[in-house]
Amino acid sequence: MTPAGVDRPPSGLASATGMRPAGPRLAGLRLVRLYLASRRALTCLLVLVAFAVVLRTALHWMPRSGLASRQLPLTIQAGAAALIGVTTRSPFGEPERATGRWLPLLRLGTVTLLAGAAVGALVAGSASAHLAGGTLGMLRDLAGLTGIALLTAALLGGTLAWVGPLAYLVVTLHALQAAWTTPWVWPVRPPDDRGAALCAALVLAAGVAVITMRGARDTAGE
Amino acid sequence: MTAATDAPVRHGPPRAASTGPLTAARLLRIELRRNAMLWMLPLLAALFWFSTYRPSMALPPWWNLRGTLLQQQALLGFAPLMAGVAAWMGSREGRRGTADLVGVTALPRWAGQLATWAATTCWAMVAYLGGVAVVYGITARQATWGGPLGWPVAVGAAMVAASCALGFAAGTLVPSRFSAPLVAVTVFLALAAGAIAIEHNSTYAQIWPLNVQGALPPDTFGTFSPYLPDLAITQVLFLAGLAAAVLGALGLRAAGGRWLRCAAAVAAAAGLAAAGTGVGLAGTARPEAHGIVIPTLHDTANDKPIAYTPVCSQAAVPVCLHPAYRSLLPAVTAALDPLLSEVAGLPGAPVRVWQVASTHLQQRPHNGIELSGPVIGGSPPVVSLPLSGMALPGEGHTTAAEFIRQLRSQVPPMLLNTLIGGDQLDTNGQQGSRSARQPSPSVLAQQVIKAALAQVAGVPPDSGVPPLPPGSPADAAAKRFAALPAAARHAWLVDHLTRLRAGQITLGELP
Repeated sequence: MTPAGVDRPPSGLASATGMRPAGPRLAGLRLVRLYLASRRALTCLLVLVAFAVVLRTALHWMPRSGLASRQLPLTIQAGAAALIGVTTRSPFGEPERATGRWLPLLRLGTVTLLAGAAVGALVAGSASAHLAGGTLGMLRDLAGLTGIALLTAALLGGTLAWVGPLAYLVVTLHALQAAWTTPWVWPVRPPDDRGAALCAALVLAAGVAVITMRGARDTAGE
Repeated sequence: MTAATDAPVRHGPPRAASTGPLTAARLLRIELRRNAMLWMLPLLAALFWFSTYRPSMALPPWWNLRGTLLQQQALLGFAPLMAGVAAWMGSREGRRGTADLVGVTALPRWAGQLATWAATTCWAMVAYLGGVAVVYGITARQATWGGPLGWPVAVGAAMVAASCALGFAAGTLVPSRFSAPLVAVTVFLALAAGAIAIEHNSTYAQIWPLNVQGALPPDTFGTFSPYLPDLAITQVLFLAGLAAAVLGALGLRAAGGRWLRCAAAVAAAAGLAAAGTGVGLAGTARPEAHGIVIPTLHDTANDKPIAYTPVCSQAAVPVCLHPAYRSLLPAVTAALDPLLSEVAGLPGAPVRVWQVASTHLQQRPHNGIELSGPVIGGSPPVVSLPLSGMALPGEGHTTAAEFIRQLRSQVPPMLLNTLIGGDQLDTNGQQGSRSARQPSPSVLAQQVIKAALAQVAGVPPDSGVPPLPPGSPADAAAKRFAALPAAARHAWLVDHLTRLRAGQITLGELP
């Protein structure tokens, strides 16, 4: 009797229950599914679809120029980014960190999937309508806001990840009124501005890197 | 056996009458200590500094300007975040899976929820009113006239309470990790939708909490006449009603006994009635030159102007401003003095420039308005100058030089048209016997003198003074007249102004 035998399931168990042991591929898929479920990814996707509908409706009613034409799409983008940030919260905390070998890949995959879904939803929502700043500007703004949400999740915890993008939104709305030009407030710059795109990309890269490596901060009592 | 002797001796049973309030106070104290809004205070303070304090301090120290920012900018920054945090607090028991645990305690669930909401709102009020105190405190040291406006702050406080109530209720009803961001985004969107509704001239949209006095510029109200509280009253009514309705609805779901359910139902019904009344009253609002008037709530005593002693410049033609505008006196004097010193003492020239409130207002599409401009009238003639609605130094990117430029593009052209004439073509020109754009010789002489004086006064081009074709005899005459010494110009005007105005001087008679 060696300890090595403990790791293996009894040889007759699978056949007795009528199940075949899952292969690595199926186990991987199951892991991804469970991970996405634990992060409420499906709910997030549904809300992103709702955001797309809201954006489409708003673009129909709101003026084509002026502050409001920037404010409403930006608000929806900040909301989408906040949702992505909130999904980083782990309900398991330390045990998951201690045992999950694939966590970095799962985190990266989830963030990429949700960010891609957000882009797709908002592009679909703004299709055949006038979006101030255009699709390129929307991509840049959403990327930067998502980076802020991920950084906030790493700093304050997943449940408070929404605070970062929404606080940044307040700053942006003021900057739009005051006609600021700093590239760090990228929504105030034209869509083809390289400095603004670089700042947004840097923030996104930092957010994705931190979340991939460390995950959202575990907050006590949540 | 010594430990028992150290215990305090209880003298009789606790009084039943004091248990309820004491328990509520203790619960509130615990909630205050354990509230997420407390940890948000640094962020809220930073946002307030950024979105409200800095823009406020860049403006002249007028109570109406800064009070407006305290309602508009502060709430735009605060309300969504506060609603989000309140939703987070409301969803606390659901997220932690303790709803059943606290549901079986002796304290009614509604009372516990109200304590959490009250604690959240208390900290939110600390953030908002703390910011208000800082801005008003500094304004009190800088202002030269007037006092703090309470109504914008009252609307702000009501909005804070309503945001917290809405967020808290949403978090309680749908406890999820997504509740807080969704509530915050929804409040953001609602505020933006209100702005769009107002732009579409929807009268009921006047209830929008960021709406201070409709499309009126902030410096048009609260200076020459009292601040009209009509719209603010309806907004407070609406917001307080909304908060009561939402909290009452929570009680209908959570309250334990019959009496509590009745109280919750009454609160919800009264809140709905108040909110509906507020919206209905807002639908009857109409803009006047000194604020939004709601006939049912309007107090005619607020239409009387406030007495004041003006501050005047020491010049040949003094410029007199409202004491609140004392800091702008040098700029206004610098803008107008070059022309006023040219025309001082001429027949029909003003003896004084007197700042007045805008008394005429014309509604424009998209909720826009047009205010009355400067006019000259009376005997002796006085220029009535409304400064309301102009971009003031510090407002946005407006500098003192830009402010002076605005004034010079408004007042001198009006003054020159009144004094000299020449702002219309003669009858022959209109009948087609002469080119439609070519003035008669007498009108041309008037335009030459106007162009010369406008050049001396620093009037920007395209400000209403008809341009003269470059290189033409008229242009040369204007340059010649402008190059004369000031005394020579003035002497010529004293001798010839009456004939010039009557159209009896031709281009050849000009010096």
